[in-house]
Amino acid sequence: MKAPFREHKKGFLLLLLSILTFVTLVSLSVGSRGVQIPYSKISAIIMSNIPLLDRVFPTYSGTDSVIIMQIRLPRVIFGILSGWALAVSGVTMQGIFRNPMASPYILGVSSGGALGASIGILLGLGLYYIPGLAFTLAIITAVTVFLLGRVNGKTDLPTLLLAGIAIGSFLGAITSYLKFVGRDTLQEIVFWTMGSLHGTIWQHIYIVLPIILFGTIMTSLFTRELNVIQAGEESAAYLGVDVERTKFVLLTLSSLLAAAVVAFTGIIGFVGLIMPHIARILIGPDHRWLVPSSALMGGIFLVSCDTIVRLSGNIPVGIITGLFGAPFFLYLLIKSRGETGW
Amino acid sequence: MVRLKVSDLETGYGENKVLKGVNFDLRPEDFTGVIGPNGCGKSTLVRAITGVIPIWKGEVWLDGKKISDMNRKELACKVAVVPQRAHVSFPFTVREIVEMGRNPFLGRFEGMGGSHDSIVEDALSKVGIEELGDRSVRGLSGGEYQRMLVARALAQEPELMLLDEATSHLDIGHRIEVMELMKRLNSKEGLSILTIHHDLDLAARYCGNILLMDDGGLHAKGKPSDVLTPNHLRAVYGVEAEVHRNPRDDSLYVVPITRKEIKTTKDTHVHVVCGGGTGGKVMKKLVEEGYEVTAGVLNAMDSDMESVDFLNVRPVVEAPFSSISKEAKKENMELMKSAEAVVVTPFPIGKGNVDNIKMVEEMVDEVKQVVLMDGDDIHARDYTDGYASSILNGMKIKYNVSTVKEEEGVLRALSRQNL
Repeated sequence: MKAPFREHKKGFLLLLLSILTFVTLVSLSVGSRGVQIPYSKISAIIMSNIPLLDRVFPTYSGTDSVIIMQIRLPRVIFGILSGWALAVSGVTMQGIFRNPMASPYILGVSSGGALGASIGILLGLGLYYIPGLAFTLAIITAVTVFLLGRVNGKTDLPTLLLAGIAIGSFLGAITSYLKFVGRDTLQEIVFWTMGSLHGTIWQHIYIVLPIILFGTIMTSLFTRELNVIQAGEESAAYLGVDVERTKFVLLTLSSLLAAAVVAFTGIIGFVGLIMPHIARILIGPDHRWLVPSSALMGGIFLVSCDTIVRLSGNIPVGIITGLFGAPFFLYLLIKSRGETGW
Repeated sequence: MVRLKVSDLETGYGENKVLKGVNFDLRPEDFTGVIGPNGCGKSTLVRAITGVIPIWKGEVWLDGKKISDMNRKELACKVAVVPQRAHVSFPFTVREIVEMGRNPFLGRFEGMGGSHDSIVEDALSKVGIEELGDRSVRGLSGGEYQRMLVARALAQEPELMLLDEATSHLDIGHRIEVMELMKRLNSKEGLSILTIHHDLDLAARYCGNILLMDDGGLHAKGKPSDVLTPNHLRAVYGVEAEVHRNPRDDSLYVVPITRKEIKTTKDTHVHVVCGGGTGGKVMKKLVEEGYEVTAGVLNAMDSDMESVDFLNVRPVVEAPFSSISKEAKKENMELMKSAEAVVVTPFPIGKGNVDNIKMVEEMVDEVKQVVLMDGDDIHARDYTDGYASSILNGMKIKYNVSTVKEEEGVLRALSRQNL
């Protein structure tokens, strides 16, 4: 199977955008408590809350408005942003490492974040401190792994990979110990490590949005370098790429993106690992198109999974992403056998 | 004018110094080859010239500018590398790979298009793969793949092209094809070429100059005929080799010779009378068994001379196209006298070498054992009107003469006499 949208890249992005819009509307219309709100009303409520447009549309108040504006809309937007950021991070990591197993969490962002969150939960810290602690520890972990991966003044990818695994196991052991000693908080920590978009508020978006915008735009500026690196680091150097700088910038950006998401949602697996693969199968290996496609697909996928989450009584989203993503991915993998690269 | 000047270049990896002071110049019109054994620093030289690894000492100048003052992009606009075989992680198309050659010329916000596209198409057609542009790199043959890498290097519109064993994985046809292309680019487009080779013949054939590297330095540099000498090859590769000149195109070619260490373990001297390629096998067996082996009298052009050379057997040699001289006869008789056994192989006998048989007949009572190898009908190889046949048949009745068919028979006959 040749990448079916390779010759229709712009069309593919438009298609993804429309799917995202559709999925968003569906997601807004359903809720965990069975409150159905018609699409026309959803649109009207959202319009009436947009500056300038609010003069045209009548102001809504009441339960539906609160449900849409304070509960569902922030959750859906945060879902799009999280899926987006994880996919951008994943596609970048796979490109840098030239390894299909690379994920946003390869530098230990998830295990660092989990430890931070566990400490926060154990200490009984509040709404902002837990993400703050998770973010801080995620970044500290990534920096540590990155420094361990330096060999002769260069970032050595195999060393980096192994350092990430070692540090991840070490921090994982500490987190397990914290689960063990804090029996009362065990459930909360376990829930956190399964990932959830539950309880998203607008403030979360205000914090994460600038990071994700910055990360995505900066990553996009390095997509040509990322392409050239696929021919090998040495060849890339011969083609004028400052390989070490590119690796540094992109590893930093993608860890930052992953850490920002993990801090608020916990560990949502699969999105960052699988979306880039699916995008590659569909649109081809050119990172200039692969990054935006993965981003949109990440958003679509996570919002869809979260919709199912809400319909199924708030089971953690990480379970849904694996349950529905894996078979779909296997289907594409078998269909495109031998063509995915690697 | 000098395009590339490498002076006292030292560099390496970590603690390990690989290049220990390399000096050479490359003029714009040069097509220079770098040869040397594995690990002598050839690829490191490429990495240093392209600024991929930092220079420890010395300097590399490109068009009079220090490369340490140039950034990666500037360098990539002037120097292109064709690597041995670069694995591409994803199924990019051929055109996408060749477009990567334009990377150093593109600004961060700039895309392909315009002149960049035409340069890429031009590069594809120069190497003859314009029809492969939309194919995935996955399906390419080795030759197509390597030509794609050449096209990518051409898309960089370089002044200097480095080939780092770029043809090592190719069959001889594609190898010649790539080298012919380089030759054309060198003469027609003024592209300077520095090419690393393992194949000495290829280097000798295409390169006007050769740098012979050894242990991080230059052992020799100059024209192929000055660099590719048996002495240099022995010193650098530790191999005995003959350098011949191909009369067809006047290029040099190297013939390595693996000389056997002679370990004479037996105290027995066997003299082999042979010729026409009939003695090679038996001499090899005898040498392997540890006999001290001599041979004679052989014509200098005889095909058995190769075996003699190869096995380090001491021969008595006569000039080509002449009958056996007195001096050669004397030497041959002395060898037979000191020998415990004489082996006569079934060589064709004519007027020129019939003396070889006559000498054996003369000496037959002086040696312990004479072994006549008689694989074919004697008359079929007798060009002396039966004269040689009668001598040989006459000898057969002697008690110390045995007749055998095969080389193994020779060894058995000798061991029966405890030789």
